[in-house]
Amino acid sequence: MTPTVSASGLSLHYGRTRALDDVSLRLTPGVTGLLGPNGAGKTTLLRVLATAVPADRGAFTVLGHDPGTSRGRQEVRRRLGYLPQTPGFHPDFTAFEFVDYVAILKELADRRERHREVRRVLEEVDLGDVRGRRIKKLSGGMRQRVALAAALVGDPGFLVLDEPTVGLDPEQRMRFRELIAEAGEGRTVLLSTHQTEDVAMLCHRVIVMAAGAVRFDGTPAELTARAAGRVWSSTEKDPGAKAGWRTGTGSFRNVGDPPPGAEPAAPTLEDGYLLVLDDAGTEVAA
Amino acid sequence: MRGLTASRGSLTVDLVGPLWRTLPWRALAAAGALGLLVAATPAATGAEPAPWQTLLLLRGAALTGALGLAFLLDDPARHLTAPVPTPRLVRQALRVALVAPLAALWWTAVLLLTPSASRPPAGGVTLEAVTVGAFALAAAALAVRLTDEARPGPFVAAALLLIAVIAPLLAPEDWALFVQAEDPRWSAGHERWAVLAAAVGAVGAGCGTEPLRRRRGRRQPLVRPDGR
Repeated sequence: MTPTVSASGLSLHYGRTRALDDVSLRLTPGVTGLLGPNGAGKTTLLRVLATAVPADRGAFTVLGHDPGTSRGRQEVRRRLGYLPQTPGFHPDFTAFEFVDYVAILKELADRRERHREVRRVLEEVDLGDVRGRRIKKLSGGMRQRVALAAALVGDPGFLVLDEPTVGLDPEQRMRFRELIAEAGEGRTVLLSTHQTEDVAMLCHRVIVMAAGAVRFDGTPAELTARAAGRVWSSTEKDPGAKAGWRTGTGSFRNVGDPPPGAEPAAPTLEDGYLLVLDDAGTEVAA
Repeated sequence: MRGLTASRGSLTVDLVGPLWRTLPWRALAAAGALGLLVAATPAATGAEPAPWQTLLLLRGAALTGALGLAFLLDDPARHLTAPVPTPRLVRQALRVALVAPLAALWWTAVLLLTPSASRPPAGGVTLEAVTVGAFALAAAALAVRLTDEARPGPFVAAALLLIAVIAPLLAPEDWALFVQAEDPRWSAGHERWAVLAAAVGAVGAGCGTEPLRRRRGRRQPLVRPDGR
């Protein structure tokens, strides 16, 4: 499949800190998950791809446009939806007014068409009934959906979502997953998250980052397969395990190189993720 | 959806309403009211200040107004609206354009509130006020450019206050800016104010543009986008 987003050699330093280290990737339509521990460079990568900050080195294209030029960046931004980690709102705006404000900034000029589009995206995120309510009166989950509506307005071809399910209760998280899955139909979505369940449920592809670099790029099944034969149960925490934790049944689940005679357990995506981090030299001991 | 895209002019008109509502009215109103109070002190107390005292009051009022302007580029939705096609420079210029007429009215009121007998030449002191206001805006634009802070206003205002205190003390004698109206250096001093106004205007406009490339080795942003 032809990539809609293609990046090569993206690097970015903050002083001596290497936030991005020679990152190359190709994204295709559908939801791609971006996993990694805090400080892995996920948000920095998202901000670079969203043209919010430029990289020191490297290049990328979005839907055939090069944001390294003024005109190219403009074209990318016309096709981009961005939901940052902490969106921030003007609390006295209603949900409709706020999304309309973002729609104006996205250059949707025809007022009637724009209002129709704003109503459409608010309906899409289930906020049609409260579109006239001030943002300060909305719950955290509703505000997050207002931010998603703002990202979706203008029907962007590339959607960048930075930890959109953080702080949501399980029900809200499930609803948000449905929305992201719908948003991923026909467009390219890059979803940064700490939740391996988000990736398992939503993504056709997963990228794992650590220390500013890509450590894994493949399907969720391939990431899970990384842990095949490397997960076992025991009655005590195995000191030789890369990571181990007590489960609800009282037994311990261990990840790493199993000792002879260990009782194997079915691997999960999270196990594969932990092993990728361990291979990258990141502390994973639980 | 691209068919909806039309001229920048009609978008700018549509943007005026929402942008007007996003302005930091509390900070601007507080600074404006304080400036008027400072200027009205002699009239309120029945005092007849000396020319140097009136000039000091006007400079104090100008600084107060500039402290309010330091908050003008604060935008809680900054991160969400960062990668939009409408350039940051356009959005910032619109904010300035929206408050400029109010600021002009406010400054006129400040001038009228001071006793006419001891009032310094209006042109010179207005140039000072414009420069200090432009300095505050340029500092705010610089803070937006160099940090990820959505509300840099308090930091910019504190820095402005500090500079206002130390600048008169540290300015070299042959580059005096804070001269009295009867001082023979008044005209020369205001030529310097004009140069300064042009310089801070250029810096402010430069900071509004969004770079395509980053200068290598830039320091970590003062505040991360997640506020940590």
